[in-house]
Amino acid sequence: MGKVTLKIDGVTIKADPGQTILEAALENGIYIPHLCSHENLLPAGACRMCSVRVEGTDGIVTACSVRVREGMVVDTRDELAEKIRKLSCDLIVRTHPSDCTGCPKYGKCQLQTIIQVVGDTGRRLRNNKILTPANGTNPVILHEMYRCILCGRCVRACHDMRGVGAIKLETVNGRMQVVIDGDSLNDAACRFCSACVDVCPTGAIREHEEIAARQAGKTREAGLVPCREGCPAGIDIPRYIRFIREGNYSAATAVIREKAPFPHVLGYVCTHPCETECKRKYLNEPIAIRNLKRYAAAKDDGSWRQRRVLRSASGKCVAVIGSGPAGLTAACYLGGIGHRVTIFEACDKAGGQLRFGIPKHRLPREVVDSEIENILTDNITIQTNSRIENAPVLLEQGFDAVLAAMGTHRGVKLPVPGSDLTGVHVSTEFLKASGQGGRPYVGKRVMILGGGNVALDCASVAKRLGAKEVHVSCPESYGAMTASEEERTLAEEEGVIIHNSVTFPEIIGNCGRVCGVRIQKISSFSFDGNGSMIPKIVPDSDEIIMVDSVVFAVGQRPDIPDGFGLELSGGGRIAVKNDCETSVKGVFAAGDVVTGTASVIKAIAGAREAAARIDRYLGGVGNIEEKLSPEQYRDPSIGRQENFGCLLRRSGSVLSPEVRCGSFEVMDLGMNDEDAARESNRCLQCDLRLDIAPQRFWANFRGAGSGKEVDEQ
Amino acid sequence: MKKIETDVVVVAAGLSGLAAAAAAAENGARVVAFEKANTVGGAANMGMGPLGIGTKQQKAMMVDIDVERAFKMFMDYTHWRVDANLVKRYFENSADTIEWLEDMGVEFAGAYKYFPKSEQTWHIVAVNGGIGRNGGAIMTKALMDYAKSNGAEFYLEAPVKKILKGSDGRICGVIAAGPDGEEIEAVCKAVIICTGGAGDNPEMIKERIGYTYREDMFNFAIPGLKGDGILMAEEVGAVRSEMNIEMIYILPNSDFGPDCVPAVFMQPNLLVNQFGERFIDEEQMQNTTFTGNAIAIQKGRVGYSILDSSILRGYIKNGPDVTNFVHHPESVADFDDVVTEYIKNGNPDVYKADSVRELAGMLGIDPDALEAAVDEYNEMCGSADTKFYKSRKFMKPIVKAPFYAGKFRPGAYGTLGGIKINTRAEVLDKDWNAIPGLYAAGTDTCAIYGDSYMFLLPGNTMGYCLNTGRFAGESAADYAARD
Repeated sequence: MGKVTLKIDGVTIKADPGQTILEAALENGIYIPHLCSHENLLPAGACRMCSVRVEGTDGIVTACSVRVREGMVVDTRDELAEKIRKLSCDLIVRTHPSDCTGCPKYGKCQLQTIIQVVGDTGRRLRNNKILTPANGTNPVILHEMYRCILCGRCVRACHDMRGVGAIKLETVNGRMQVVIDGDSLNDAACRFCSACVDVCPTGAIREHEEIAARQAGKTREAGLVPCREGCPAGIDIPRYIRFIREGNYSAATAVIREKAPFPHVLGYVCTHPCETECKRKYLNEPIAIRNLKRYAAAKDDGSWRQRRVLRSASGKCVAVIGSGPAGLTAACYLGGIGHRVTIFEACDKAGGQLRFGIPKHRLPREVVDSEIENILTDNITIQTNSRIENAPVLLEQGFDAVLAAMGTHRGVKLPVPGSDLTGVHVSTEFLKASGQGGRPYVGKRVMILGGGNVALDCASVAKRLGAKEVHVSCPESYGAMTASEEERTLAEEEGVIIHNSVTFPEIIGNCGRVCGVRIQKISSFSFDGNGSMIPKIVPDSDEIIMVDSVVFAVGQRPDIPDGFGLELSGGGRIAVKNDCETSVKGVFAAGDVVTGTASVIKAIAGAREAAARIDRYLGGVGNIEEKLSPEQYRDPSIGRQENFGCLLRRSGSVLSPEVRCGSFEVMDLGMNDEDAARESNRCLQCDLRLDIAPQRFWANFRGAGSGKEVDEQ
Repeated sequence: MKKIETDVVVVAAGLSGLAAAAAAAENGARVVAFEKANTVGGAANMGMGPLGIGTKQQKAMMVDIDVERAFKMFMDYTHWRVDANLVKRYFENSADTIEWLEDMGVEFAGAYKYFPKSEQTWHIVAVNGGIGRNGGAIMTKALMDYAKSNGAEFYLEAPVKKILKGSDGRICGVIAAGPDGEEIEAVCKAVIICTGGAGDNPEMIKERIGYTYREDMFNFAIPGLKGDGILMAEEVGAVRSEMNIEMIYILPNSDFGPDCVPAVFMQPNLLVNQFGERFIDEEQMQNTTFTGNAIAIQKGRVGYSILDSSILRGYIKNGPDVTNFVHHPESVADFDDVVTEYIKNGNPDVYKADSVRELAGMLGIDPDALEAAVDEYNEMCGSADTKFYKSRKFMKPIVKAPFYAGKFRPGAYGTLGGIKINTRAEVLDKDWNAIPGLYAAGTDTCAIYGDSYMFLLPGNTMGYCLNTGRFAGESAADYAARD
């Protein structure tokens, strides 16, 4: 379609025939004040702020409602147009609070900047303020309607764009006001999409301070979509939840696989920082993202493979040491972009912590096997039972680059009296043995020392090995334990007894065997320069707990052979700079061996980073991105849903403690079809907000007759 | 990371930053200004106009003020505990700055007082040819347009994160965060810090000034004023200077609503503390600084303004006794309606009762004490204020129900000071040597008031920002050209 040529304030511009004068002007960097108009909304022509004169037509028109024509001559500074604009501004301002101080929208308020341009103040008209009090009862959306200027953008966004209509214009006590269409937003079938917040030009409709504060200092993408921002690997969560809602589970899994090659494993064991960030938590409870992922991954038909485009061979070879989540992830993406990868695994099977650390009742081994099988393409070979004693030597053997990703597989025993007694285990060996079907001795009563997720894993394994009484002791208070709340709840359901704020100075033995642990209450603790704990002991608080066995779960270290050839940092980890380069050129490191024991998702994120960096080192551009999922249409019209705000979280079911403690069967049964459908429907679809044009201000445009253009975003 | 190169970087485009950018640009420097918000003007957008001394507006209005008188008055007020050279240079330049703004197309309605006892130094920006609100916003737009016409470039939504200093000790650039999240490194010869203080940083206010936001301090927390410039200056070796807060008094929850409420409660009637005791000559209530100071030293940092319905009736009929330009209702006839509505909505600033004793109960004051204070006050209304010598014309007895009370708390426009500068707006290090290439202006540097805002010369803070901004811009352009 050809463009039309028109003149605005003497400047000749070209525009698409379907555009309004306002759209054409803004697109060409010419600012015309406008309030009720918004890029994503139908024109209302109500605020008359964009009044202009079009040569050859009578009177003044609103630029937002008149389409451009060939040869049109527009004057935005016509005297009558200016007069109408000023009067309109007056009429708006007389209803608005007199002082901008104290308004959180200060500096981002479109009304404030329009007053700046139009230059009027409402002083000559009688003030007619709206006295509606603030309504902060909804935990997400805050109404301070005394700041409302009745531009109607929120109502149009809610009704026209979203198809919801939770708010409306209504005459209250003789005055037009924006009101909720019901007793509360929830009652009005609000979907809490925050479109009203995004289009409100003033501080009238906002999100609560706590929510807004989380967005401060972040990019728009990061601030508005907290789950995706929370995921270390940057998985596009709203996108795959939408696919789940549409019933396209393979597409959903493909979205995950674009950033992490273990969708099914993550569905079982991810620490889900996405859920922690999920905005729905302010409304009631976060979306059960992890279990949705598991549900989708279980239904994956593998069609993503057809979308995978393996790049041509680069002729480069990379050695990866370790086949845990980090090693396999790096291998997956390096292989995908054409490098040949050889994985060296010290154990007899691949998987690292997935196989030897995480208990079977939390992660079935069939899932691990099938995920690994998906990763191992023709480009990737794995050599098990191959412990590498020196990393740089691999370079001499012909590998172009090396990635060390051996994890943290060495348990730590604290040097307390009695730690060498029979019946004292360390977490790593304890979990490894039980994970392979072994039955390490626990006796009737067992004490786990440590307060992290690994400690609670050990506790749950001990229960399943037949221990009647399982104690966990840690120096942290209950709230400060590093174990997640979810894990603590599960452990407590199983009858695990947690002793918080205690130290354990001695393991008591009898004839060389464990018979108890002495614990002491502490009031606080700190660490010295060497990382050793210095507790403040509460006097006379000693207690002896009689146990038959003890498991140390006080942290894990990398098992790095002497003479490995790389510089180490504190805690025996591999020292890296720029995130993954080691002291030897060409040798990189990622995962727990760098960060210390963290999480599967963090290991994956670190390995992606390392893969990109290795590719750049090998002469590539470092682009490991893959498009495995189909296109998706984000429908802005989400429609009404009664009581949407009250929908409770459905994360599936977990076996009862009595049943689950009897075996190593998977305890979390996951979601059924109905759970998944309902839970995916609870999503607030925060990513829809990115499709709403950000608010712009006069300063974003080339001012009339002024110098250089400001940096257009 | 995007990399750009320029002569002068201005950190934040509020009033002082805009003045600095305009001044540096018109002096031939290439200027890039980074602003955190998505519009320019900062706190100045809520202001009405700057101070000027010896201007043609004052001459036309036959105002008898010149630099000498203003300077002496100012130094008396501050007990010479402030930089006399900086004050002098600022006052001397203030008339020229008014003309400078006029040359950019800013019109002034004239030179005004803020309140009856102040001087006519306040040059209110004309809005439609007269006095209106938000004239400051019109002025800031004109400054930006002028700076742009001189080649200055503006990056909005792009806060500066760090100032870079070379190994030779010279300032050599900044790192900013662009709106798309991409970092921008701007290499330059000089940096001017104009970030407007720490009004929105309760921790910094608590740590350096000692007030707790929304407990005993209800300052205007203009979003984004985090003290960034002060912290970044310290990072590159600037000496920390004393910080203060531009104290006023305020009804924290009623300032933004209908003007009748603050306007009526700020009238010089009876102001008592938590003990029901008068603590100020209420005529001083027109001076928001003095009254803020007095309230801040009472128990709980509270002052209750009390009046009755006969006083209110007088205001409805004849208008309030004392007016100012900020709270200037056309009429206070709706006062009772608004107060009633506020009480219904749980606004903790306002009270209404059928007796003084009932009012005392609502305020947590001993009813006997308040009753005695009101009796004593009413008695003096028949003779004279023998306690604080308030003018007779303001002595109006409090006798007729219903009775009203407004609960005033300390407020503030924002923080003052933090970065030490000299008269050339150069930032000083701990040995009071200028850090080469580093300049600062505006409220980040404003230590010229001493302990209390100098309200007798209104327009002072905007005036200080504009003039030190110009000094900084000129000095930086000069330095960049020399270098």
